Amino acid sequence: MIKRIALSAVILASSLFASGEVNVYSHRHYDTDKKLFKMFEDKTGIKVNVVKAKASALIKRIETEGKKSPADVLITVDAGRLYQAKKEGILQPIHSDYLIKNIPANLRDKDNEWFGVTIRSRVTAYKIGSGMKDKLSTYEDLADPKFKGQLMVRSSNSIYNQSLMAAMIAHHGKDYAIKWAKGVVSNLAASPKGNDIYQVKAIANGIGKVALVNTYYVGKMAGNNDLSQAESVKQIKVFFPKFENGGTHINISGAAVTKYAPNKENAVKFIEFLTSKEAQKIFTQENFEYPVLKGVQNTDIAKAWGTFTPDSISLNELGKYNKEAVMAFDVAGWK
Amino acid sequence: MKRNISKIKISSVFLTLLISAPAIIIFLYLFIGHSDNWQHLKDTLLFTYISNSLYIMVGVAILTTILGFTTAYLTSIYTFKFSKFFHYALILPFAIPTYIVAYIYGGMFNVAGTVTQFVLHTIGKNINEVPFFDIMSIEGAILVMSFVLYPYVYLICKSYLSFESASIIDAAKTFNLSSWQILRKVIIPISRPAIVAGVTLAVMEAVADFGVMDYFGVNTFVTGIFKTWFGMGSINDAAKLASILMTFVFLLIVLERIQRRNRVFKSSGKDFKPIDKVKLTGFKAFLAIFACFIPFFFGFLLPFGQLSYWFAITYKDIIDEEFMQILYQTLTLAIISSTIITAMALLFVYNIRKSKDKTSSILTQIVKLGYSIPGAVIAVGILSFFSFLDKYVIDFFTSSYIISGTILAIVFGYCVRFLAIGINNFEAGFSRIPQTYDDAAKMLNVNERRTFFTIFAPLLKNSAFSAFIIVFIEVIKELPLTMILRPFNYDTLAILALELTQQSQYAESSVPSMFILLIGMISVLLLAKNMNKA
Repeated sequence: MIKRIALSAVILASSLFASGEVNVYSHRHYDTDKKLFKMFEDKTGIKVNVVKAKASALIKRIETEGKKSPADVLITVDAGRLYQAKKEGILQPIHSDYLIKNIPANLRDKDNEWFGVTIRSRVTAYKIGSGMKDKLSTYEDLADPKFKGQLMVRSSNSIYNQSLMAAMIAHHGKDYAIKWAKGVVSNLAASPKGNDIYQVKAIANGIGKVALVNTYYVGKMAGNNDLSQAESVKQIKVFFPKFENGGTHINISGAAVTKYAPNKENAVKFIEFLTSKEAQKIFTQENFEYPVLKGVQNTDIAKAWGTFTPDSISLNELGKYNKEAVMAFDVAGWK
Repeated sequence: MKRNISKIKISSVFLTLLISAPAIIIFLYLFIGHSDNWQHLKDTLLFTYISNSLYIMVGVAILTTILGFTTAYLTSIYTFKFSKFFHYALILPFAIPTYIVAYIYGGMFNVAGTVTQFVLHTIGKNINEVPFFDIMSIEGAILVMSFVLYPYVYLICKSYLSFESASIIDAAKTFNLSSWQILRKVIIPISRPAIVAGVTLAVMEAVADFGVMDYFGVNTFVTGIFKTWFGMGSINDAAKLASILMTFVFLLIVLERIQRRNRVFKSSGKDFKPIDKVKLTGFKAFLAIFACFIPFFFGFLLPFGQLSYWFAITYKDIIDEEFMQILYQTLTLAIISSTIITAMALLFVYNIRKSKDKTSSILTQIVKLGYSIPGAVIAVGILSFFSFLDKYVIDFFTSSYIISGTILAIVFGYCVRFLAIGINNFEAGFSRIPQTYDDAAKMLNVNERRTFFTIFAPLLKNSAFSAFIIVFIEVIKELPLTMILRPFNYDTLAILALELTQQSQYAESSVPSMFILLIGMISVLLLAKNMNKA
């Protein structure tokens, strides 16, 4: 009996390594991705196998699996975790002329160990008619007492807030960032909780007037089957703040090839596909993210939000300062 | 000469080591040197983690006791209109995953919630003009957890009151005491072990929760563990926090054992005749109905209503071939795990019964600890443990990675996490079987196997059934552990529900949630039916 179980386990395991496959560990969990994986399979005949979980858990899994890891590609929803994966030594450089030519330098690793696949920006949303439109300017300004009792933010557990804070540290140093976070906390309309959707709903319903949100949430809320989301979005507008000495905060969803990838070639093909025009179009049209590839059109909803200049700091900085960002939040009392 | 150490004892020691390996690995992190992160934690949030976790434990303990005991008392001592219905209905909240209830309650009762806005609109006021209880707070979290977890207390108290304490209660009635006096002087004191056993499970579950606390913005040990791991990238310090939490819960278990030993009501074992129920009418009946309706309404009916509405408008988009595959995977996984866990739990408890030594008893308590550790942390322990096995043991046979990332790893994870539930059920079951049965078998020289199958097995059928069902429901609802350890292309209903909520598709997520609930409901009804027969 035991022999039989062991044998079937080996067969099961070895089937994972069969050629014509690519094994993806992904932190993303969107229907768009499912659709794209299917498209890749149809186009290349390479089967995509997926495990989805939080990036840190996947990194730990790749790390403990070591040389025997079946993982080929790691996909995360932020640059910080890719930076961490690189630091743990579980990635390898990708040699792809296509990727190097098409992905701007600030959206990829300097040693080409990871590449951005989509862009998200963290911005402010304000309630129409609340008089906030003329008050909004920079991220730094959100700590100004003129916003007292008017801000809504989610908790510091959110990777999106951690990245914003890491960018703040990169721009101004840790001490300034702590002071800024304290200022924001003293301007809050309610204690940090919920997700980005909750923040939008809260300002739409008069709890605070300005919320920190990712743009793609706003896009997804607009056509939601949960009507209260669609209703709330009608009452708000998006504003793109900037850093005083930079642009609007952005982050990426990114992909990397793991160090011991058994299907390395397929892995590179897969990442190239994700950054191809046809795939970028789907990320943009259906998940309201911004493309990393030039020349891909945004949706009308995204166009209506306006245009912005992305912050120019290297996304490596987000990973470098992530830990300090978390600590700064704790010191500032940002729950 | 007869061997002193039986096969059962050897296997139970071996299994204890195996099952507690992940917890021991996590515990070992305590002794890895302190980093600056640890100092930071001590300077900033450690105190908040401790105080909030304690607050939640106490809050959930009090509320689940009130809800669970009152309803168990009313439905086992009295009959009133709908009491048969409530006998089943009161267990139902158990079938909905806590984080789903939290999302639904958030959507209804938070500052921007549909119910809140409807009320405000009706009375023509602004949110800032009326006193408002924000459900997305620590108190709100306690409330939500308690409405979902009180069935633990209800179930254990109910089966205790209905059968084991029947003779005492009937005897008390002959002294012409009023119902109030019987409740205060007899029922409450003798129910204490049952209440504590149920509350311990509820509290352990509440303190290991991440989904509700994170969404409601409450800092607890578990949110701290994740922040330290994911945010600061320090798995060592995350494991240290988990070890402190484990120690906390271990003390809780020890306290529970001590008080149970002192207070346990020993059944004479002669007869388990069901209690003679008193019929309630008029205002008293109304009060009883009201008291049972409240937990049923908030724990089940309200979230069920919301889910049904969303289900009706989205099921066509979600149910397809792939969904059916996920349903099939979830069910097989749950059946396999519950069978294994039930069998293991029986082995552990049978070993204590037979060997009667302290070591076996302590080992069993250690095995129970897994229930208090957040699933994701157990997953890390399991990854480390299996990677060790894969590297140093399995390597001899194959160069492929055969354990982690397979169903085997997940099932093992469930054993670590849910064995406590199985053990608790069998402990209750065994305590009902008088020692005289064992002695008689011994005197008549009946061999071990025959004693087990002819005496114990029939008497333990009900405990085995309820252990199986409760573990089955827990496995269906389980999330983080499955997520981290699963093989490629392997989803469960709970994972699908979470992914849809993360995509802000709350309405669509009702479809997998509804299936979890329906499977849970069917299981719960079987459980209640079985309790009737007991």
